[in-house]
Formats: sequence, structure tokens, C-alpha cells
Amino acid sequence: MPDTATPIDKRPLVLLTPAFIAITALVVIPMSFILVYSFYENVDLAVDRVAFQFGNWQALFSDNYYHSAIWKTLRISVVVTVLAAVLGYLPAYFIAMTTFRHKWLLLLLLILPFWVSFIIRTLSWIHILGNQGALNGLFLWLGLTDEPLQMMFSEFSVMVGLIHVFLPYMILNIYVSLEGIDRNLEPAARTLGATPWQAFREVTLPLSLPGLAAGSLLVFVLTGGSYVTPLILGGPSDFLFGNLIYDAVVTELNWPMGATLSFTLLVLLGSVVILYSRFMGLNQLSKAFG
Amino acid sequence: MSAWAFIRFYTILVYTFMFAPIAVVLLLAFNNSQFGGFPIDGLSLRWFAELFENEAIMRAFRTSFILGLMTAAVATTVGILAALALVRYQFRGKDWVTTFLISPVLVPETVLAVGLLIFLRWLHMPRSFTLLLLGHSIIALPFVVLVVQARLVGIRREYEEAARSLGASPVQTFFSVTFPLLLPAIFAGALFAFTISFDNITATIFWRPSGMETVPTQIFGMLRHSVSPEINALGFVMICITVGVPLLAGGLARYFSRRKV
Amino acid sequence: MTRKMDSTKRYEKLREAVGNGDVDRRTFFGLLGSAGITAGLSGGIMTAMAGQARAAGVELHFEGWGGVVSEALRKHAFDPYEAATGNTVIDATFGGENEVLTKIKAAGSTSGHNILHSSGVSWYKRWVDNGYHVVLNEDNIPNLKNVMTTMIEPFRAITPEGLSAVPYDYGTTGIAYNTKHVSKEKAMELGADLLLDKELKGKIGGWGGDWANRAWYGALQSGQDPNNIEDWDAVWEKAREHRELVLKYWGSGAELMDLLAKEEIWVTEAWSGRVAALQAQGHPIAYMDPPNGLAWMESMFVLKGSPLAEAEELLNFMLEPETAIAVAAGQKYPSSLDPTKVDMPEEVTNLPAFDPTGKLEALVFRDPQTWNPQEKKQGAMWNRVKKGG
Repeated sequence: MPDTATPIDKRPLVLLTPAFIAITALVVIPMSFILVYSFYENVDLAVDRVAFQFGNWQALFSDNYYHSAIWKTLRISVVVTVLAAVLGYLPAYFIAMTTFRHKWLLLLLLILPFWVSFIIRTLSWIHILGNQGALNGLFLWLGLTDEPLQMMFSEFSVMVGLIHVFLPYMILNIYVSLEGIDRNLEPAARTLGATPWQAFREVTLPLSLPGLAAGSLLVFVLTGGSYVTPLILGGPSDFLFGNLIYDAVVTELNWPMGATLSFTLLVLLGSVVILYSRFMGLNQLSKAFG
Repeated sequence: MSAWAFIRFYTILVYTFMFAPIAVVLLLAFNNSQFGGFPIDGLSLRWFAELFENEAIMRAFRTSFILGLMTAAVATTVGILAALALVRYQFRGKDWVTTFLISPVLVPETVLAVGLLIFLRWLHMPRSFTLLLLGHSIIALPFVVLVVQARLVGIRREYEEAARSLGASPVQTFFSVTFPLLLPAIFAGALFAFTISFDNITATIFWRPSGMETVPTQIFGMLRHSVSPEINALGFVMICITVGVPLLAGGLARYFSRRKV
Repeated sequence: MTRKMDSTKRYEKLREAVGNGDVDRRTFFGLLGSAGITAGLSGGIMTAMAGQARAAGVELHFEGWGGVVSEALRKHAFDPYEAATGNTVIDATFGGENEVLTKIKAAGSTSGHNILHSSGVSWYKRWVDNGYHVVLNEDNIPNLKNVMTTMIEPFRAITPEGLSAVPYDYGTTGIAYNTKHVSKEKAMELGADLLLDKELKGKIGGWGGDWANRAWYGALQSGQDPNNIEDWDAVWEKAREHRELVLKYWGSGAELMDLLAKEEIWVTEAWSGRVAALQAQGHPIAYMDPPNGLAWMESMFVLKGSPLAEAEELLNFMLEPETAIAVAAGQKYPSSLDPTKVDMPEEVTNLPAFDPTGKLEALVFRDPQTWNPQEKKQGAMWNRVKKGG
């Protein structure tokens, strides 16, 4: 390939410049202000003292309260990501492969929920899963149960809410990678004697992996950073690390601690992205040779 | 064929799951009662009437709409350039570049919001519509990059090389070959950016200049006193517009083209 | 004043720290320039948006709770005020005063913030302690004479040199219960301990947003004077006991009403106005204020840097009986106007917590002198207890 032969190519740099400037100015620099804050000392509500001390970091490392929140957050994020992948792959495949003429409509339908405010959408799960909700109404009517099932305000309802909000990210990412696959590949594999399942497994699935990985990454990271869904749909024990940050920054007005917690989350989620990036980098490399 | 039938059935189930809460919102838009949800005591259009009289919501809607469009334009442009660089070129440290591009998603929005505010103070800039636009764009950027990137990986280089070998200039190649192939990704990216901006609340609360409300902040303000079904009516109207207008346009176009023949 | 100095100094230092660090100023301004280009692109629309807000005269930024209150204020106070003076009121909603304080702190100035619908004497003290208060000229607010003196006194005690806010409404946080499942006798007998009734496990709610509210009830349940808590461990022990029984800590009025109306919960502490709204819709929800139950008041707080004469005039408009009554009817919290001086219609006199004597002797308010110093420690404590810590 001609452009990879020359070792120093300025074109990618030029293409990346706008994004780099934007992220540097709007994320990196503001975050360095926050990092500075994590060494400050909170004297009273909203009153911070300029300092360079490790009290906040020490609290983070020594306090089991924070550790259990981190575990819980990772666990819920993994479960939500896996479930979203399981739920999302087939619909994405369907949209990509269907001969239905109004394919765009299926895609539009995916994005539509965003048009109803997130808070309203989340609250409306109470109408479905609640004691007087649609599902319980159906179960009672069918005689499956005598008493309404308690589904709301549990880890279950929090996960339902999270999956519901993030599933479109998964489906769209898988879809765009499936859509990019040459349509003739699967039939070609079939004519070479592969069963449909083999053709899918050997051809389509590997080619759709970048989308699946991107979608999973997004869902994982977004779940790890959310805090509103557990507030609305969860019971007292359902919270994520984001809730601790929100509590520290907004309700306790303790910015130094909030900054410390934020950095922790940043590092945790960042390492996941780096892992992904390593893995995907290899994947793309092998494809370039293939 | 039974596998395909299963996939279709599965898809319908997933769409049902996606639409269950929306269906609830749409139904309750017609519920006569001020509050309470199911069972619906009576049907009425009063919430639609109140919605159109509610200037605050309508104003918030206009703000959100304009903001969303501009966010889509900015984020998609920047995002596509970056995705092109990532997919089309080999260079050192690509892993780090990718991580860097995705980093805005990693920052909890509350923190991103507060950090940017402190930075603005340092620059002596007041909060403004521009801040909201830039902030929303940076939140949407990683999504655009990811969506576009996944799509670009699948576009075969050979098409472009074929065009080049047939004598097209790089610019011509881009607009006649690459761009059309990119269109679905651009569309998906822009739609994503728009909807992310339209639905953002956490950061918007901190960034908006005083006196400016977007739809989510307006709803947030109503939460203290119970949410009015006007909001459900707004959702209904929006969905009708987004689904209905393209359908109607397509239907009319077909109708008239058939008449001509 | 000293606090103000501290915060200015802090930002100076921060600025220096970054200025001397790896990032040099030139890079900064380069970035600023590119941001400017983007700003230029959106210039046209921006001007149009700003045009909505700009008008002749002075601009006053009002921030409140939104919803029915905004509508009532807009119709009965802001519009007439604008017509009478040529000034403009820009009204916005906030999610709480924490959010406003965060914004002001981050921005380093109160610019863009003038009048807040502030909750309680505690927040009054916090704004004053942070140096964000003003001294209002009460002669310019003749309607203040109609406000109950008992409501003005706590504010005056904090700033004897002059008020920075006018009291505007009041309410209580009592206990709401579903009469289909809980008898009135039982509720009356148990009082605050109704929230700890083990028979109701999984049917109990609580407000998750405010540590002081939880602590107040913890004090009642552990037999302490809420305004003079000595044993904080006992308070949090009661909060933990409550947590075991709780289905859901709610965070907004909308959520509270939803949970009660759908019978997800049968018992919870609740805001009087929200229960009144539910009762008006025919839900079988009763409301009681247990002995020593928590009362609170809200004020219209004027922030430092605001145009005072205009702000005073606006406050006077807001205290017009017609306006205050419309707001009270909308949000279902009684107005601060003295009912012995101003005739209140039935829709106001029927509100829960309404006191016809104008003295509020039956209500117990939070004493900011004993509560505010505890907030840093106990507020963090509550966030922990809430999560099972």
C-alpha cells in the first residue's frame, strides 16, 4: 500500500487535529484542573483549602466503602454489557440483512426512544414493572400469580433500565459493521460447501467483531458512568460509583473528594479502553494482512 | 429459512422491549387524569392543548432542536475526519490515539461539566450557548468516531483504488466513491449526535446560561411537583414528527410519481 | 468577607499553578482561538438566541423550582413587573441550591444569578456565610409588612444589619400513609415510629435527598430533641433500621407522588404540598405531622451583585397578595403572608400545615446554629448509611 510505505505521513495528523484540539481544550485541560483539586482539602461545605496533601487519596485506598462500590459497578457493567450484546446482535443482523425496503425505518425506530426525555422513559418502567404495572396486570389476569410480583426497585429493574437506554448504542454499532460487509461473501462461502451457520461463523461474525467490540465498549463505559438510572429505578442498595461522585460533588459540595473519585473512575474505565484498543489493534492488523 | 424466522421473531421481541416504555408514554398522553398512569380513566386531548399553550416548553423545544442540529454538524465533521485517520492510515501510537478520542465518554458528566466551568472562569468567559454547543459536541464526538470507524473498516479499499486507477483525482475519488459509501455512517453519526444532545441533562444543567432551558432541563424543573402529562404529549408529538414526516414525504412522492405514469 | 478573600486567593493560586506548569499560555490562547472560530460559525444563531433574552432596562435573573410555581410567578408577578418597570425578568429552573452554589463557585462570580427561591433558614445562613448576601432596603418592599413576623425573625437573627431575603412560603415534612392499609389510630399511636413498623417492610419509603431530614426523623425515633442532638450514633442507628424496611428512597416530588399513588409504598415521610395534591386527586392518602415534626420555610434570596432597587421592587410584586395566593394554590404550600392581615381564600386555608393564627407556634423549624456545623460530617454519613454503609 502506497501510503503506509512512507514512514512519516502528515495526513492522519491533519485529519486528527480538529478532534485533538477539541478534546484537549474541552476535556484534558479541564480535567487537569480537577486533578489539581483532588489534592486540595475540603474544610467545610463548598469551602476548600489550597493544599498538596494525599488525604483524599488515602481515604479512597483505605476505605472499604469505596472498594465495594467499585466492585458492584464493574459487576453490573459486565452483566449489562453481555446482556446488551446478546439482545442486540440478532436485531442488528436482521436490520443489516433484511430485504425489507424501509430499512431506514427500523433504524429510526431504534433512535426514537431518545426523543422522549430520558427521565420520562426511565420513570415509565414503573408503569410496566410496578405492582400496578402492565406486566403484573397481565400475570394476574392470566392467573400466573395471585399477588403482584415485586420487580421494581431492585437490581433487576436497574439493569432493565440500563439495558433499555444503552441497547441502541450496541445495535447501531453492530449494524454499521455488518452493513459494511460485502453481501457476496456469505453466498460465496455457501457455494464452497459451508452450511449457513458455518458461513456466518467463518465470514460474517469475524467481520462484525469491530462493531460488536465498539458497542460493548460503549455500553460498558456508559453503564460504569451512570448514576440517574439507579436513583430512579433502584432500591436502597442499588447504586453505582457514579452515585458516589454525584453525592460528593453536588450534595456534599466536597469537590476535592469528588475529584479524587472521578479520577479513580477515569483510570478504571480508561484501562478498559486501553485493553480494548490493544485487542482491536491486533484484530485490525491481521485484517490488513488478510 | 427457519433460522431467519427465528431472527425475525427475536428482533420483534427486542423492539417490543425497546418500545414498551415509549408505548406507555404515548398512551398516557391521552390519559385524562392529571396523575397516576394505569388504569386509564378516560381519554382526552387536554394535555396537547396545554402543551401548545405552554410557552416555556415550546421555547425549550426550539432551543434543544437548534442545539441538536448544530451539535450534529460539529461532532460529525470532526468525528469523520478523525475516524478516517484511524482507519486509513497506519501510524505509531494508534492505540493511544483511539483511547484519547474516546476519553470524553470516560469522564463522568458531572465532573466534565464542573471542570469545564472552572476552565472557563480561568479564561474569563461567561457561560453561553457556545459553551453548550462545544460541550455537547465533545460528548457526542466519541460516539460519532466509533460509529463511523466501525463502518469504515468494512469499506473496501479496492473501490477507491479502482477509481484512482481510472484517473480520478483524490478529491474526486472522495466525493464520488468514498463519500457515498460513507453516507450511512455519516447519517448514523449525525443522528446519534443530535439525539445525544437533545437528551442530555447532567452536563446541560451546569453549562446552560441563565434563562435558557432545553427540553430535559425544563422537565427536570417540573419534577419537584410531579410530572405533567404535557410531557407525554410532547413525546407523542415528537415521535409523530420524526416518523410521520418522512413517511408522508415518501408516500406523497410515490403517489405523485405514480400519477404521472 | 474573609471567606471571600480566601476563595479569590485560591483561584489565583490555581491559576498560577497551571500557568507555570507544562501548559504554556500561548498554547492556551491558540486553543482559545480555535474555539473562537467555532464560536464564529454559530454566531448567527447565537445572536438570535440571545436576542430572546435581551431587552431594554435592567435584567433580573430569577431561579426557582419551575413547574406550577414558575407559571404562577410569571403570570402574576413577572409580567406585571415587566410591564410596570420596563425591566426584564429572566426566569430559570434549578435542581436545587447546591447546583447554583456549584455554578457560582465554579464561575467565581454571581453574575447571571440574582434572586433564588431558597429553601430554609439553613441555606440562608450558608449563602450569608459564603459572603453572597446583600442588605435590602425594607422601605422599598412595603408588602413585607404583611409577612408574618415569626417568619422574618429567624432570618433577621442571622443578619441583624438587614435582610437579604424575604420569606415566601412554608410547609412541613410529615408522614403520609395509605388509609387502605394503615389505620388512622395506628398512625397516630406510632407517630414517627410508623416509619419503623416491621409489619410494613418493603412498603415504606423515605426521602433520599436530604441528610437533615433523615436525621430529624432519626432524632425523633431515638427520643432526642431534633434541634439539640447529642447522640448521633443513635440517630444513624435508627436510619439504618429504617433502611432495612425501605423499598425506595425517593428524590423528587414527582417520584414521591408516583410511589404513593401507585401504592408501591404505603408509608413515607412526605412534603405536605405534594400530599395535598394527591388528596385533591382523590387518592386515599392521609397526612400527619408527628409531634415535633419538621417544618420549613422558603425565601426569595437576593444575591450579592444584583441591582438592589430593581430586585426590591420585584420582591414587592411577588409579595402582592394576589401573586402570593396564586403561587400558594399552585404549589400547595401556604404563603408567608399573615392570614390575620390578608384574607386567604379557601383553597389556601385548606392546605396542610396552614396556620390561621399567623404565629406558626405549632411548627418546629430547624435551627441553623445547631444544624449547619454538622452538615459536612453528617451529610457524608447519611450518604453512606443510605448505601448500606
